[in-house]
Amino acid sequence: MSVAADTAQRRGRKIPLRLGKLQPLLFIAPFIAVLAAFHFYTYYVGVKMSFTDAQSINPGEWIGVSNYVEVLTDDPDFWAAIRHTIYFTVGGLLTQIPGALILAVILNGIAGRLRGVLRTSYYIPVLINTVVAALIFRMMFNRDTGLINWTLGRLGLPNNTNWLYDSAYSVPLMVAVAFWQWVGYHMVYLLASLQAIDPQVYEVAKLDGASPLRVLFQITIPLLRPALTFVSVTSAIGCLQVFEYPFLLFPNAGYGPGKAAMTAIPFIYRNAFSSQFRYGYAAAAGWIVFFMILAVSLLQLRVLGLSQAEDL
Amino acid sequence: MASVSSTQPIRQPGLSNLLTKALRLCGLAAMCVLALIFAAPLLWLADVAFRPKSEIFSVPPKILSGPVTETMKSYSLESFRQAIDRWDVGQAFLNSAFITVSAIVLTILVCSLCAFAFAHMRFPGRDIVFVCLLATMMMPTVTMISPYYRVLRLYGLNNTYQGLIIPYSASVFLLFLLRQYFVKIPSSYIEAALMDGASMFRVWWQIILPLGKPALATLAIYQFRAVWNDFLIPMIVLRNRALHTLPIKLQFMDSQNYNVPFDAIMATSLIAVLIPVVFFFLFQKQFIEGLSGGLKG
Repeated sequence: MSVAADTAQRRGRKIPLRLGKLQPLLFIAPFIAVLAAFHFYTYYVGVKMSFTDAQSINPGEWIGVSNYVEVLTDDPDFWAAIRHTIYFTVGGLLTQIPGALILAVILNGIAGRLRGVLRTSYYIPVLINTVVAALIFRMMFNRDTGLINWTLGRLGLPNNTNWLYDSAYSVPLMVAVAFWQWVGYHMVYLLASLQAIDPQVYEVAKLDGASPLRVLFQITIPLLRPALTFVSVTSAIGCLQVFEYPFLLFPNAGYGPGKAAMTAIPFIYRNAFSSQFRYGYAAAAGWIVFFMILAVSLLQLRVLGLSQAEDL
Repeated sequence: MASVSSTQPIRQPGLSNLLTKALRLCGLAAMCVLALIFAAPLLWLADVAFRPKSEIFSVPPKILSGPVTETMKSYSLESFRQAIDRWDVGQAFLNSAFITVSAIVLTILVCSLCAFAFAHMRFPGRDIVFVCLLATMMMPTVTMISPYYRVLRLYGLNNTYQGLIIPYSASVFLLFLLRQYFVKIPSSYIEAALMDGASMFRVWWQIILPLGKPALATLAIYQFRAVWNDFLIPMIVLRNRALHTLPIKLQFMDSQNYNVPFDAIMATSLIAVLIPVVFFFLFQKQFIEGLSGGLKG
């Protein structure tokens, strides 16, 4: 290196030395600035906005808590949306977590290339754009031209179900699509945890003549508890915030027949951007949903074991 | 024979053994059938994307209606041409690619700088700030869409690429991931470099980033999937049609009141899906670690 470059370098080094204690701040500043400008400031604006009748770019007038009162007491759509969100989340948890566990346990017992092929095939939907998933499944669930009813017909099962237009199927349909899309994600995580279990544990159980089912319930599941906690929380948070399925899985962006698929985030979106641009109202509903989701996440961590989740 | 059985002290009774085997075989068969069901929607997409509009919704599916090679005679690139010429999907692809790549680069810079400070520097309140940052991970900011849009307008960032890219870069989850990895880099390396007269920025650039490559790869993959597939926030930020990314373009095509261009939708969907899938097959191991094992740091 040339002498000139060397001295330039040495001169450059004096600046950070002089900065001394302030230097770490320079490193965290960009991150904190972005977070503050886009997240924390949004919260601040959101609080203020929720107490106004803001509509689109019109900032509106201060109206106190009436948005909150209206959301909670005078909007049946809101409670319907909360109900659907709960159904969808419970349905999602009850299918995805046991499904992922079963798939992971079976897959763990399969050796060699076949395991890799199967794992890939379950995992691919994770990579698929949710918009594409919703659009494809809407076509596949079409009563007359869809692949689902055609397959059912070939199997000799009833094939005239109007999946997309019967409100009884709206949430189950979303649960099914979510299962397809996310079970592989949870499975891969559980599989990695399964493979970290000491095989000797199983050897001992086998020597003691424990049945496979007992091994599953008394060894595998307890040992997987931290991993199960993690996937349950991830899955629940994802389900509570679902947007694309209600928005796109049903024809005409109608959130299902009679809005039977309307969940929390689509409810907020609709009030803010597609019906009357009630920004203030959407902000109030947003805060209510915000704290509901936060409460569920905290409760879940509590119930399922905070200590395990921490060392993940 | 006797000696063989004596080396296997616990021989299960024949019937139970057979049952276990049968069970295992059933499980295997079920897994294969399920895998086929899981693959079916995408195989269908890959097939109909090359077919004329009239064949997309044929019952039974065109490809199963006769000898496969026979049905494939109607394959063409017409739907892709439609998508590109009439719906400007080429532009949407470039938008998606540009936003994804920029978001990944910016996230690496912003998060690694910050993670380096939290991992290897001492400053007052460091641990408290870090815990507070982690706590924000649980906050569902997506509920705040109307205030978020106002904030973007305030900054003049609505309808701009930056309005999408900059907020992506401060991900607390990815900060945590990098910090957990950087902590494991021995501080003796850093001290040695400082003794030699390197600045902290040089340490970051020439030691932390090169040694942190595996974690940065995980970050890139995570962010790639998240940004490439994101829908709700881009739909709010990018209202201008010229800025549309692939998912928004798909929604736009789908929301036509009449004559929905299903052929172009299929072609665009295949493009949107194929990019992550191809990357997945190229970097399968990193992908699976990046998207699910990442938290284990």
